[in-house]
Amino acid sequence: MAVAVLLVQLAIALAPGSAADIVANSEELRDGLTEHWGLDDPFLTRYFRFISELTQGNLGESLTYRAGEPVLSLVARSAPSTMFLVFAALIASISSTFCLAWLTAGKKSISRTMLRTVSVMPVFLAAYLAMVVADSWAFHNTLEVGIQPPEWFPLLLNDSSVKITIAVIVLGLGSSAGSEIHSNIETSIIEIRSSGYIDAARARGARLWPHTLRNIAAPLAALTASRVPYFLGGVIVVEKVLHLNGVGSMLWEACRMRDFPLALGITVLSAAVVCAARLFADLTRVLIDPRLRGTN
Amino acid sequence: MKSVTKFSSTIFSKWTLSAVAIGVTLPAIATTLRYAEDQAPGIVNPVFTTTMTEARVNELVFEGLYTDNEDLATTPDLASSIEVAEDAMSAVISLRQDVIWHDGTGFTAEDVVFTINTMRNPETLSTEVGRVEWIEEVEALDDYSVEITFTSPQPSPQDKLNFKILPHSHFDSETMSRGDSFRTNPIGTGPYRLVQFNDDNSVTFEVFDDYRENVGIDELILREVSDKSYQARLLLYESLEALVRVLPSDLALLQNSRQVELYPYQTNSWWFLGFDETEPPFDDVRVRQAVSQLVDVENLLAPIGTGEILSGPYVKSSPFYNHEVEPWARNDREARLLLEDAGFTQEGGAWERNGEPLSFTITAHQGLETAQMVVINLQSQLRSKGIEVQTEFLDEAEWKVRVWRERDFDSMLSQWSFDRNEDVYSQLHSEGERNFGGYSNDRVDELLDIARNATDPFDKRHALRLVHELIHEDAPMLFLWTLDSYAALSRSTRNVLIHPFYFFTYVGDWRMR
Repeated sequence: MAVAVLLVQLAIALAPGSAADIVANSEELRDGLTEHWGLDDPFLTRYFRFISELTQGNLGESLTYRAGEPVLSLVARSAPSTMFLVFAALIASISSTFCLAWLTAGKKSISRTMLRTVSVMPVFLAAYLAMVVADSWAFHNTLEVGIQPPEWFPLLLNDSSVKITIAVIVLGLGSSAGSEIHSNIETSIIEIRSSGYIDAARARGARLWPHTLRNIAAPLAALTASRVPYFLGGVIVVEKVLHLNGVGSMLWEACRMRDFPLALGITVLSAAVVCAARLFADLTRVLIDPRLRGTN
Repeated sequence: MKSVTKFSSTIFSKWTLSAVAIGVTLPAIATTLRYAEDQAPGIVNPVFTTTMTEARVNELVFEGLYTDNEDLATTPDLASSIEVAEDAMSAVISLRQDVIWHDGTGFTAEDVVFTINTMRNPETLSTEVGRVEWIEEVEALDDYSVEITFTSPQPSPQDKLNFKILPHSHFDSETMSRGDSFRTNPIGTGPYRLVQFNDDNSVTFEVFDDYRENVGIDELILREVSDKSYQARLLLYESLEALVRVLPSDLALLQNSRQVELYPYQTNSWWFLGFDETEPPFDDVRVRQAVSQLVDVENLLAPIGTGEILSGPYVKSSPFYNHEVEPWARNDREARLLLEDAGFTQEGGAWERNGEPLSFTITAHQGLETAQMVVINLQSQLRSKGIEVQTEFLDEAEWKVRVWRERDFDSMLSQWSFDRNEDVYSQLHSEGERNFGGYSNDRVDELLDIARNATDPFDKRHALRLVHELIHEDAPMLFLWTLDSYAALSRSTRNVLIHPFYFFTYVGDWRMR
């Protein structure tokens, strides 16, 4: 966590301009704000000050995005919608690719090729194209056909259900996420199906799927945890392109407005979510796989 | 048929009579106007305003001692009258006695004293300190009158007394902090009070019931729509009722709509291509004049909208605009002579001097609408005349560092916006804080000083028209145009009048069906 803070703070220090440059309209005011916010303090002083405040649960206050508002309350307000997107995308991605992998494992399949082709599209491009198509359709209906799209449809309105659905699909499958997850699950299924205990079960005439499912749960949990950082990164772009309110779009704005306490706070909390996801995955694996309980 | 009509008219008249007889009153329907901004306000406190979004919100919630009337002339708002001393070094202002803050307390002279002292306090770090720098001292004479003394003669101080007044009872001292809770729970005397910041970044305002005048619209909602190109569509979807400024590319779309009405308004803002006079090649006036004559300004303007091409630092409707000075006309022959005179020669179509090509970079702000189109068009025009042009687009922070602070640019495309005072001192005086190109002309400095201290409006106008003439000849920047601005409102709104700078100044008179 401390390393993450150091790297982010370094990136912020290297960016041209500061929050004082954004706000000030005169040299005198810029100097005053720079001193007031401690922006001219040495890098290490700022770093240790942030770490010291962090240990007391204080992430500071926003400088430019919402001047004076505690970072924690800003993030707390936007986090539910972002976490919903990330976890909905995880569930959608894992469950859909799992079903496909179950059917395609060890076989030649056009579905696999199709998934890989679609999934290779970058998140930003997929989100943008989806939005343009749906938006044009709604716009055409409204103006030319004279049909009002239903309340839930207009993409332009904040956080409409169509926008959220597009965000979940794009985040879950775009930037090769779909094909990578599918490939990992497929490999695990093939390995399990060719293992000795499956052969033994087959020889006994037992049903094979319960054995396969039980044994794939642990790698699935690890896979889910490993995708969390990718999805957290992707959500910044998706929220920005689809004009969704959330922590991702807030981080974008914080960087644009050089609001370093907010950018740093969001990074720290994102790192905490990644750590929590990994811990959760490890605990789940231990719970599912009795062989892991006896080891360190 | 006749009997049916008679029957229904009987029923109707009986129903009407009974309704009147039992005193039925139909409930009034609340009216809501939703308008779009690119970004929600970060802070609602006029002492710390940094964006136009915040300035427009301030116009809803707060009031100043003076404001602009429909003809943009100064008119009292919280003040009732003013008496300026003979030497124009002080004035006594009488205040209205029927003004109430949104929390129910009365407005007094203490609020005026507090606001001015707080803005002037260096520890407050106010972005608006420039609005009160001309005030030496302020003192409350009684509950409803204040005396203000000036640092220099001010024959018409009311023109500068349009900054917003804050309630002193909400603050402990005359040092204000940007983080104070007032930023999201502001108390003003304006026609609307801020109800809340919503989770979707919208902001809700409700009419202030105790406002001294009748206000037509019950509720206003500011909606954050970061992509400007979507704002027009939202208006057509009927998800909004007002757009502050229509993009030129959306004008045709809205003009064809029966739901929307466009309102043209003139802003005191102009575009320019500024040159860095401290470094070659633009340290030579001949090069600046030559470039000015190689650019086809009409051709630059056509793709981005309509407007008036300018020859100096004022819009054409300004009293300071010198109509005898014509904009630089495209003149390749004259430009060629000027460049040759400056020591350049044309080799294979490209201009060079001492083996060095005539080359420069145009720097522009990413946030300046349609700037990309203008810069690329400029680049293409100048390249075809043998001048090598590179382009770069900077975000807000980098722009402030490179252009404002370090003044590290060859030429820059930008826009200046002014309030009614149109004071270009900062941009053109050799000691001006925003004279980024390092322009210096002793005569212009002298005239700007005269204009600043002039007590006679005629002297001021005369001095500034001369400035216009001199600036045009020195060409520290190529003045481009002032764009025609349009607001768009749903046809359900009526009686709409728009202030060119603050937009909502006359919102109290707006009505909705």
